[in-house]
Amino acid sequence: MSDNAESPTETQKEELHSPSENSATSEEKKKIDVLLKAVGDTPIMKTKKWAVDRGRTVQSLAQFISRFLKLDANEQLFIYVHQSFAPSPDQEVGVLFDCFGSDGKLVLHYCKSQAWG
Amino acid sequence: MKDGLRENFFTSRRRPAFVLDEEQFRRCCQLLLQRSDQLGDGWSWEAVQGSEEGYLRKTALRSVPSDWGPLHDQEGFSFHPQTLYDGSYTGTNSSSLVVQYEYHILFSCSYGAPVLYFRAFTLEGKSLALEEMWSTIHPNYRLRLQNFPLNAISQQEHPLLGQPFFFLHPCRTEEFMGLVLQAAQDQGRPVNYVLSWLSVVGPVVGLDVPLQYCTPLHSAVSLNSTKPD
Repeated sequence: MSDNAESPTETQKEELHSPSENSATSEEKKKIDVLLKAVGDTPIMKTKKWAVDRGRTVQSLAQFISRFLKLDANEQLFIYVHQSFAPSPDQEVGVLFDCFGSDGKLVLHYCKSQAWG
Repeated sequence: MKDGLRENFFTSRRRPAFVLDEEQFRRCCQLLLQRSDQLGDGWSWEAVQGSEEGYLRKTALRSVPSDWGPLHDQEGFSFHPQTLYDGSYTGTNSSSLVVQYEYHILFSCSYGAPVLYFRAFTLEGKSLALEEMWSTIHPNYRLRLQNFPLNAISQQEHPLLGQPFFFLHPCRTEEFMGLVLQAAQDQGRPVNYVLSWLSVVGPVVGLDVPLQYCTPLHSAVSLNSTKPD
Protein backbone atom coordinates (compact mmCIF):
# COMPACT_ATOMS: atom_id res chain seq x y z
CA MET A 1 0.00 0.00 0.00
CA SER A 2 1.20 3.47 -0.73
CA ASP A 3 2.18 5.50 2.25
CA ASN A 4 2.94 8.68 0.45
CA ALA A 5 -0.35 10.44 0.89
CA GLU A 6 -0.08 13.85 -0.64
CA SER A 7 -0.42 17.01 1.28
CA PRO A 8 -3.94 18.32 1.20
CA THR A 9 -4.95 20.81 -1.36
CA GLU A 10 -6.56 23.99 -0.23
CA THR A 11 -9.94 22.54 -1.11
CA GLN A 12 -9.40 19.50 1.02
CA LYS A 13 -8.20 21.61 3.90
CA GLU A 14 -11.27 23.74 3.68
CA GLU A 15 -13.45 20.67 3.70
CA LEU A 16 -12.33 19.76 7.14
CA HIS A 17 -11.78 23.24 8.43
CA SER A 18 -14.98 24.59 6.98
CA PRO A 19 -16.84 26.89 9.31
CA SER A 20 -20.11 25.68 10.76
CA GLU A 21 -23.35 26.95 9.39
CA ASN A 22 -24.95 30.26 10.19
CA SER A 23 -26.79 30.20 13.47
CA ALA A 24 -24.36 28.11 15.54
CA THR A 25 -23.41 29.59 18.86
CA SER A 26 -19.83 30.59 19.45
CA GLU A 27 -19.43 27.42 21.51
CA GLU A 28 -20.59 25.24 18.62
CA LYS A 29 -18.38 27.10 16.17
CA LYS A 30 -15.34 26.08 18.14
CA LYS A 31 -12.89 23.74 16.55
CA ILE A 32 -10.85 21.16 18.33
CA ASP A 33 -7.40 19.90 17.47
CA VAL A 34 -7.30 16.32 16.30
CA LEU A 35 -4.15 14.26 15.90
CA LEU A 36 -4.56 11.33 13.55
CA LYS A 37 -2.39 8.28 14.04
CA ALA A 38 -2.24 5.31 11.71
CA VAL A 39 -2.45 1.78 13.02
CA GLY A 40 -0.83 -1.26 11.43
CA ASP A 41 0.04 -0.86 7.79
CA THR A 42 -2.57 1.78 7.19
CA PRO A 43 -1.14 4.65 5.14
CA ILE A 44 0.05 7.55 7.21
CA MET A 45 -1.47 10.91 6.50
CA LYS A 46 1.18 13.50 5.76
CA THR A 47 -0.89 16.04 7.60
CA LYS A 48 -1.72 14.52 10.94
CA LYS A 49 -3.00 17.48 12.83
CA TRP A 50 -6.34 18.97 11.91
CA ALA A 51 -8.67 21.58 13.31
CA VAL A 52 -12.11 20.02 13.25
CA ASP A 53 -15.51 21.47 14.04
CA ARG A 54 -16.83 20.12 17.32
CA GLY A 55 -20.03 19.05 15.64
CA ARG A 56 -18.32 16.92 13.03
CA THR A 57 -19.23 13.26 13.34
CA VAL A 58 -16.87 10.31 13.49
CA GLN A 59 -18.50 8.99 10.33
CA SER A 60 -17.80 12.21 8.51
CA LEU A 61 -14.20 12.20 9.65
CA ALA A 62 -13.78 8.57 8.60
CA GLN A 63 -15.11 9.41 5.16
CA PHE A 64 -12.71 12.30 4.90
CA ILE A 65 -9.73 10.15 5.80
CA SER A 66 -10.84 7.41 3.41
CA ARG A 67 -11.07 9.85 0.54
CA PHE A 68 -7.80 11.45 1.51
CA LEU A 69 -6.04 8.08 1.54
CA LYS A 70 -7.89 7.01 -1.61
CA LEU A 71 -9.11 3.78 -0.09
CA ASP A 72 -10.93 1.23 -2.22
CA ALA A 73 -14.63 0.69 -1.79
CA ASN A 74 -13.95 -2.66 -0.16
CA GLU A 75 -11.58 -1.20 2.39
CA GLN A 76 -13.05 -0.10 5.63
CA LEU A 77 -11.70 2.56 7.92
CA PHE A 78 -12.00 2.25 11.67
CA ILE A 79 -11.46 5.11 14.04
CA TYR A 80 -10.56 4.50 17.67
CA VAL A 81 -10.26 6.54 20.81
CA HIS A 82 -8.15 5.37 23.68
CA GLN A 83 -6.52 3.09 21.09
CA SER A 84 -9.14 0.45 21.65
CA PHE A 85 -12.65 1.79 21.46
CA ALA A 86 -14.54 2.61 18.29
CA PRO A 87 -16.92 5.48 18.98
CA SER A 88 -20.29 5.31 17.34
CA PRO A 89 -20.30 6.82 13.84
CA ASP A 90 -22.67 9.62 14.72
CA GLN A 91 -20.66 10.63 17.75
CA GLU A 92 -19.46 14.20 17.61
CA VAL A 93 -15.72 14.77 17.83
CA GLY A 94 -16.32 17.62 20.25
CA VAL A 95 -17.73 15.15 22.76
CA LEU A 96 -14.78 12.81 22.20
CA PHE A 97 -12.45 15.71 22.84
CA ASP A 98 -14.21 16.48 26.11
CA CYS A 99 -13.87 12.86 27.25
CA PHE A 100 -10.51 11.85 25.88
CA GLY A 101 -8.68 15.00 24.92
CA SER A 102 -5.41 15.86 26.62
CA ASP A 103 -2.78 18.53 26.07
CA GLY A 104 -5.37 20.42 24.07
CA LYS A 105 -5.86 17.75 21.45
CA LEU A 106 -7.77 14.60 20.70
CA VAL A 107 -5.70 11.66 19.53
CA LEU A 108 -7.58 9.38 17.16
CA HIS A 109 -6.16 6.16 15.82
CA TYR A 110 -7.38 4.97 12.47
CA CYS A 111 -6.82 1.75 10.64
CA LYS A 112 -8.01 0.21 7.46
CA SER A 113 -9.09 -3.33 7.03
CA GLN A 114 -10.81 -5.40 4.42
CA ALA A 115 -14.50 -5.07 4.92
CA TRP A 116 -16.21 -8.26 5.98
CA GLY A 117 -15.75 -10.73 3.16
CA MET B 1 -1.51 -24.84 26.42
CA LYS B 2 -4.12 -22.17 26.80
CA ASP B 3 -2.87 -19.39 28.98
CA GLY B 4 -4.89 -16.42 28.05
CA LEU B 5 -4.30 -14.14 25.13
CA ARG B 6 -1.52 -15.84 23.31
CA GLU B 7 0.54 -15.04 20.27
CA ASN B 8 0.71 -17.45 17.39
CA PHE B 9 2.69 -17.54 14.18
CA PHE B 10 5.09 -14.95 15.44
CA THR B 11 7.46 -14.52 12.53
CA SER B 12 9.12 -11.48 11.17
CA ARG B 13 6.68 -11.43 8.30
CA ARG B 14 3.41 -11.88 10.05
CA ARG B 15 2.21 -10.09 13.09
CA PRO B 16 1.05 -12.24 15.99
CA ALA B 17 -2.54 -13.44 15.94
CA PHE B 18 -4.57 -12.48 18.96
CA VAL B 19 -6.77 -15.37 19.94
CA LEU B 20 -9.17 -15.28 22.82
CA ASP B 21 -9.82 -18.32 24.95
CA GLU B 22 -13.04 -18.98 26.78
CA GLU B 23 -11.82 -17.90 30.18
CA GLN B 24 -10.53 -14.62 28.78
CA PHE B 25 -13.86 -14.17 27.06
CA ARG B 26 -15.74 -14.65 30.32
CA ARG B 27 -13.51 -12.21 32.15
CA CYS B 28 -13.96 -9.58 29.45
CA CYS B 29 -17.69 -10.13 29.64
CA GLN B 30 -17.73 -9.74 33.40
CA LEU B 31 -15.86 -6.46 33.17
CA LEU B 32 -18.22 -5.26 30.48
CA LEU B 33 -21.11 -6.35 32.66
CA GLN B 34 -19.82 -4.40 35.65
CA ARG B 35 -19.68 -1.25 33.59
CA SER B 36 -23.06 -1.99 32.06
CA ASP B 37 -24.55 -2.24 35.52
CA GLN B 38 -23.01 1.07 36.50
CA LEU B 39 -24.33 2.71 33.37
CA GLY B 40 -27.67 0.96 33.34
CA ASP B 41 -26.96 -0.26 29.84
CA GLY B 42 -28.97 -3.44 30.23
CA TRP B 43 -26.56 -6.30 29.54
CA SER B 44 -27.01 -9.52 31.48
CA TRP B 45 -25.08 -12.76 31.69
CA GLU B 46 -27.08 -15.82 30.72
CA ALA B 47 -25.42 -18.95 32.06
CA VAL B 48 -25.83 -22.34 30.53
CA GLN B 49 -27.30 -24.53 33.22
CA GLY B 50 -24.72 -26.32 35.28
CA SER B 51 -21.67 -24.79 33.66
CA GLU B 52 -19.58 -21.68 33.51
CA GLU B 53 -20.45 -21.33 29.87
CA GLY B 54 -22.79 -18.56 28.93
CA TYR B 55 -23.33 -15.42 26.93
CA LEU B 56 -24.13 -11.76 27.28
CA ARG B 57 -27.63 -10.68 26.40
CA LYS B 58 -29.34 -7.39 25.86
CA THR B 59 -32.62 -6.24 24.43
CA ALA B 60 -33.27 -2.83 22.99
CA LEU B 61 -35.87 -0.92 21.10
CA ARG B 62 -34.81 0.80 17.93
CA SER B 63 -36.57 3.31 15.83
CA VAL B 64 -35.85 2.65 12.18
CA PRO B 65 -36.68 5.18 9.47
CA SER B 66 -39.40 3.75 7.29
CA ASP B 67 -37.80 4.97 4.10
CA TRP B 68 -34.78 2.71 4.57
CA GLY B 69 -36.49 -0.30 3.11
CA PRO B 70 -39.64 -2.32 2.61
CA LEU B 71 -40.55 -2.64 6.27
CA HIS B 72 -43.44 -0.25 5.96
CA ASP B 73 -45.09 -2.60 3.50
CA GLN B 74 -45.24 -5.40 6.00
CA GLU B 75 -48.13 -5.98 8.27
CA GLY B 76 -47.70 -5.72 11.95
CA PHE B 77 -45.38 -2.76 12.05
CA SER B 78 -46.12 0.23 14.19
CA PHE B 79 -45.89 3.64 12.73
CA HIS B 80 -45.37 6.75 14.64
CA PRO B 81 -44.45 10.06 13.08
CA GLN B 82 -41.07 11.06 14.34
CA THR B 83 -37.87 12.48 12.97
CA LEU B 84 -35.25 10.03 11.84
CA TYR B 85 -33.10 8.75 14.67
CA ASP B 86 -29.87 9.44 12.90
CA GLY B 87 -29.72 13.05 11.83
CA SER B 88 -26.80 12.47 9.51
CA TYR B 89 -28.92 10.45 7.13
CA THR B 90 -32.06 12.43 6.60
CA GLY B 91 -34.53 12.38 3.81
CA THR B 92 -37.79 13.99 4.64
CA ASN B 93 -39.40 13.90 8.06
CA SER B 94 -40.95 10.56 7.26
CA SER B 95 -42.34 8.18 9.80
CA SER B 96 -40.26 5.57 11.52
CA LEU B 97 -40.84 2.07 12.81
CA VAL B 98 -40.12 0.57 16.17
CA VAL B 99 -38.28 -2.72 16.23
CA GLN B 100 -37.33 -4.84 19.22
CA TYR B 101 -33.83 -6.21 19.15
CA GLU B 102 -32.24 -8.97 21.12
CA TYR B 103 -28.44 -9.20 21.08
CA HIS B 104 -26.33 -12.10 22.29
CA ILE B 105 -22.57 -12.21 22.57
CA LEU B 106 -21.27 -15.76 22.41
CA PHE B 107 -17.80 -17.19 22.28
CA SER B 108 -16.58 -19.05 19.23
CA CYS B 109 -13.97 -21.66 20.06
CA SER B 110 -13.05 -22.24 16.48
CA TYR B 111 -12.35 -18.58 15.82
CA GLY B 112 -11.14 -17.69 19.29
CA ALA B 113 -13.35 -14.65 19.15
CA PRO B 114 -16.69 -13.31 20.32
CA VAL B 115 -19.62 -13.57 17.93
CA LEU B 116 -22.66 -11.36 17.80
CA TYR B 117 -26.01 -13.09 17.40
CA PHE B 118 -29.18 -11.07 17.16
CA ARG B 119 -32.81 -11.16 16.22
CA ALA B 120 -35.48 -8.59 15.78
CA PHE B 121 -39.22 -8.41 16.24
CA THR B 122 -42.02 -6.02 15.55
CA LEU B 123 -43.83 -4.72 18.59
CA GLU B 124 -46.50 -7.31 17.85
CA GLY B 125 -43.95 -10.08 18.19
CA LYS B 126 -43.47 -11.01 14.55
CA SER B 127 -39.85 -11.87 13.90
CA LEU B 128 -38.03 -10.16 11.07
CA ALA B 129 -36.92 -12.16 8.09
CA LEU B 130 -33.47 -11.64 6.62
CA GLU B 131 -34.66 -9.22 3.98
CA GLU B 132 -36.57 -7.16 6.49
CA MET B 133 -33.58 -7.13 8.80
CA TRP B 134 -31.48 -5.66 5.98
CA SER B 135 -33.83 -2.73 5.94
CA THR B 136 -32.87 -1.92 9.49
CA ILE B 137 -29.17 -1.68 8.70
CA HIS B 138 -27.98 1.88 8.40
CA PRO B 139 -27.41 2.69 4.69
CA ASN B 140 -23.82 3.64 5.43
CA TYR B 141 -23.06 0.02 6.30
CA ARG B 142 -25.32 -1.68 3.86
CA LEU B 143 -23.26 -1.27 0.73
CA ARG B 144 -20.16 -2.75 2.29
CA LEU B 145 -22.01 -5.69 3.79
CA GLN B 146 -23.87 -6.38 0.58
CA ASN B 147 -20.65 -6.64 -1.36
CA PHE B 148 -19.63 -9.55 0.78
CA PRO B 149 -22.86 -11.19 1.87
CA LEU B 150 -21.49 -14.63 2.60
CA ASN B 151 -19.18 -13.40 5.28
CA ALA B 152 -21.32 -10.74 6.78
CA ILE B 153 -24.80 -11.24 8.15
CA SER B 154 -26.55 -14.53 7.79
CA GLN B 155 -28.93 -16.75 9.66
CA GLN B 156 -27.86 -19.59 11.82
CA GLU B 157 -29.12 -21.74 14.62
CA HIS B 158 -28.10 -20.28 17.97
CA PRO B 159 -25.46 -22.66 19.34
CA LEU B 160 -26.96 -22.72 22.82
CA LEU B 161 -30.64 -22.04 22.28
CA GLY B 162 -31.18 -23.81 18.98
CA GLN B 163 -33.39 -21.02 17.65
CA PRO B 164 -32.78 -19.14 14.42
CA PHE B 165 -30.76 -15.97 14.87
CA PHE B 166 -28.90 -13.62 12.63
CA PHE B 167 -25.20 -13.39 13.25
CA LEU B 168 -22.14 -11.48 12.14
CA HIS B 169 -19.64 -13.99 10.82
CA PRO B 170 -16.47 -13.93 12.93
CA CYS B 171 -14.01 -14.88 10.22
CA ARG B 172 -12.75 -11.32 9.86
CA THR B 173 -12.78 -10.43 13.51
CA GLU B 174 -9.16 -11.26 14.21
CA GLU B 175 -8.12 -9.19 11.25
CA PHE B 176 -9.34 -5.89 12.57
CA MET B 177 -9.01 -6.74 16.24
CA GLY B 178 -5.42 -7.84 15.76
CA LEU B 179 -4.44 -4.41 14.48
CA VAL B 180 -5.98 -2.70 17.46
CA LEU B 181 -4.54 -5.12 19.98
CA GLN B 182 -1.08 -4.92 18.46
CA ALA B 183 -1.12 -1.14 18.64
CA ALA B 184 -2.36 -1.20 22.22
CA GLN B 185 0.22 -3.78 23.18
CA ASP B 186 2.97 -1.66 21.68
CA GLN B 187 1.84 1.14 23.95
CA GLY B 188 1.53 -1.13 26.95
CA ARG B 189 -2.16 -0.39 27.17
CA PRO B 190 -4.54 -3.17 28.26
CA VAL B 191 -7.62 -3.77 26.16
CA ASN B 192 -10.96 -5.43 26.82
CA TYR B 193 -11.23 -7.52 23.67
CA VAL B 194 -14.99 -7.98 23.87
CA LEU B 195 -15.66 -4.31 24.51
CA SER B 196 -13.35 -3.20 21.76
CA TRP B 197 -14.85 -5.66 19.30
CA LEU B 198 -18.38 -4.71 20.27
CA SER B 199 -17.70 -1.03 19.74
CA VAL B 200 -16.77 -1.85 16.14
CA VAL B 201 -19.47 -4.34 15.18
CA GLY B 202 -22.31 -3.15 17.37
CA PRO B 203 -23.25 0.00 15.45
CA VAL B 204 -23.52 -2.00 12.22
CA VAL B 205 -26.57 -3.78 13.61
CA GLY B 206 -27.97 -0.88 15.54
CA LEU B 207 -26.37 -1.68 18.87
CA ASP B 208 -25.08 1.40 20.57
CA VAL B 209 -22.07 1.09 22.83
CA PRO B 210 -21.89 4.27 24.91
CA LEU B 211 -18.63 6.14 25.23
CA GLN B 212 -18.88 5.79 28.99
CA TYR B 213 -17.70 2.21 28.70
CA CYS B 214 -14.19 3.47 28.28
CA THR B 215 -14.12 6.74 30.15
CA PRO B 216 -12.31 6.37 33.46
CA LEU B 217 -14.43 5.60 36.47
CA HIS B 218 -13.57 6.11 40.11
CA SER B 219 -13.65 2.43 40.76
CA ALA B 220 -11.39 -0.57 40.86
CA VAL B 221 -12.54 -1.83 37.49
CA SER B 222 -9.48 -3.01 35.69
CA LEU B 223 -9.17 -3.66 31.98
CA ASN B 224 -5.97 -5.63 32.35
CA SER B 225 -7.40 -9.02 31.58
CA THR B 226 -6.48 -9.11 27.93
CA LYS B 227 -2.86 -8.19 28.28
CA PRO B 228 -0.76 -10.77 26.46
CA ASP B 229 1.77 -12.65 28.54
